[in-house]
Amino acid sequence: MDTPATGPVAVELSGVVKTFQSPGGELVCAVDGIDLAISPGEVVAFLGPNGAGKTTSLDMVLGLTSPSAGTVAVYGANPRQAVRAGRVSAVLQTGGLLRDITVRETVQMIASTFPEHAGVEEVIDRAGLASLARRKVSKCSGGEQQRLRFALALLPDPDLLVLDEPTAGMDVTARREFWDTMHADADAGRTVVFATHYLEEADAFAGRIVMIAGGHIVADGPTEQIRSRATGRTVSADLPPADAAQVLARLRSMPHVIEAATQGHRVTITATDSDAVARELLGELGASNLEIASGSLESAFMTITATPDRGARTEQEVAR
Amino acid sequence: MNATFTGLELRRVLRDYVSMFFIAVLPAFFYLIFGAAQESSSEDAGNGNVAMYVMISMAAYGAVTATTGIGGMAAVERMQGWGRQLGLTPLRDSGYVLMKAVVAVAVAAIPITLIYLLGVLTDAEGSVGAWLLSALIVLAGAAVFALYGLVFGLALRSEAAVGAASGSLVILAFMGNIFFPLSGTLLTLAKFTPLYGYVSLARYPVTEGYVFNISDGTVTHEPLWVPVVNVSVWAVIFALLATWLVRRGRARQ
Repeated sequence: MDTPATGPVAVELSGVVKTFQSPGGELVCAVDGIDLAISPGEVVAFLGPNGAGKTTSLDMVLGLTSPSAGTVAVYGANPRQAVRAGRVSAVLQTGGLLRDITVRETVQMIASTFPEHAGVEEVIDRAGLASLARRKVSKCSGGEQQRLRFALALLPDPDLLVLDEPTAGMDVTARREFWDTMHADADAGRTVVFATHYLEEADAFAGRIVMIAGGHIVADGPTEQIRSRATGRTVSADLPPADAAQVLARLRSMPHVIEAATQGHRVTITATDSDAVARELLGELGASNLEIASGSLESAFMTITATPDRGARTEQEVAR
Repeated sequence: MNATFTGLELRRVLRDYVSMFFIAVLPAFFYLIFGAAQESSSEDAGNGNVAMYVMISMAAYGAVTATTGIGGMAAVERMQGWGRQLGLTPLRDSGYVLMKAVVAVAVAAIPITLIYLLGVLTDAEGSVGAWLLSALIVLAGAAVFALYGLVFGLALRSEAAVGAASGSLVILAFMGNIFFPLSGTLLTLAKFTPLYGYVSLARYPVTEGYVFNISDGTVTHEPLWVPVVNVSVWAVIFALLATWLVRRGRARQ
């Protein structure tokens, strides 16, 4: 396998599109043109609302499904080859375990499919399952089953670890335990890509955040940069009937305004100086019902992913 | 072949006492009641006696119960996400199918061994050739019914569907002349049902195709091509249905 002299890219998606035939027969576009490169050693969070295309994108990286258009490469190879070579592994969303066998049997079973793999007892230990090894999978809690999936993912000692909403359905304690285990492991220099809709997870764990909505990448950058889009406050108010485009242009031209959008008569502005925006709104623009909310990663998330007319795609656009 | 994986799969089935009851214990009990305990059991039936005829029938019933259940569960497991987990390993689909087939045949061998052993201990009698050949046909023919289970699992996608598939075998066994000797119109209808060809072939080393009609005491001969065509046609139907259902599942992925 040839690797470029500049060093291999861990994951590379170019022009990736994935369309599905829904049971009703119409085409649904889950991923609509994603370009993305992830370098070895990066810890990247895929952040986006349900149905944004996160799972579909990750499935293509894992070779579980093929793109309708575009290419996916994992360490320069096609994803299925990378999986066979044990270079990529994943913790999938809930489901996918046999309920009638024990934790240790599950690990033994998956381990036996790899020509070379880490020791069964070793991964059980690393996933914190030593005391549960003889327990039936059906008797394990959601968090314990998730740690089992993590143990399975460690078996091939992968260079790239993909986690698809690994803590969905866990309670707060189980979530913290899971990430503690992950932290210990990621320090080993593994490339980690995880999908989540818990912002605090992305914030605490990822070095880079890729925000996805409506099958597109809507933001991509270091975690600090994404968070900085949320420093400041969100100001919203009802506008008197007027030319919305003109008002938006005026608000956007203000030096402290990061983002401004309207929904009906209501305008929402993210700004570093909320006082200045409030003054402008209540004075010159004659707005009413003003509200100011403090900023957070959550609001950045909302501002960026809720961009209108990106989510819905018509069939003609898909068929192009 | 992956011995660890196959061994664990086999252990799973053996540990499931409820399934093992329906696969091995119930058909063995049927043999004792409908075969060994009957007064007619030592009467001649070609290359063997009536007890042997019933023994083969019940072994066949147990064997298809095993393969139907394993085929059905394989489909359901894969669709419930285990297929995705296996998709993250070097294991190929063909390797997976081969291991499941080995497990199905191994489990099908359990009721056959148990019931044939009971046959030896009670009064089943027949030529050595009939014993060996009938056991082999029961084992090989049972594989066709792994596809039957697979079709149920793929089409209905639930564990309950697999239970229904195994349950439906009771009806097919009555309709297929397994539990109770049919005659007249029912026997004519039976020749078109899936278990008829299989069990007739398995009994062939004993009966050589001669069928005793219980209602009027006459004996008729059925040529070998009848059960052969029955088994072949049903095998093709199950295979085509399974292939179509797998393709349909892939398109929706």
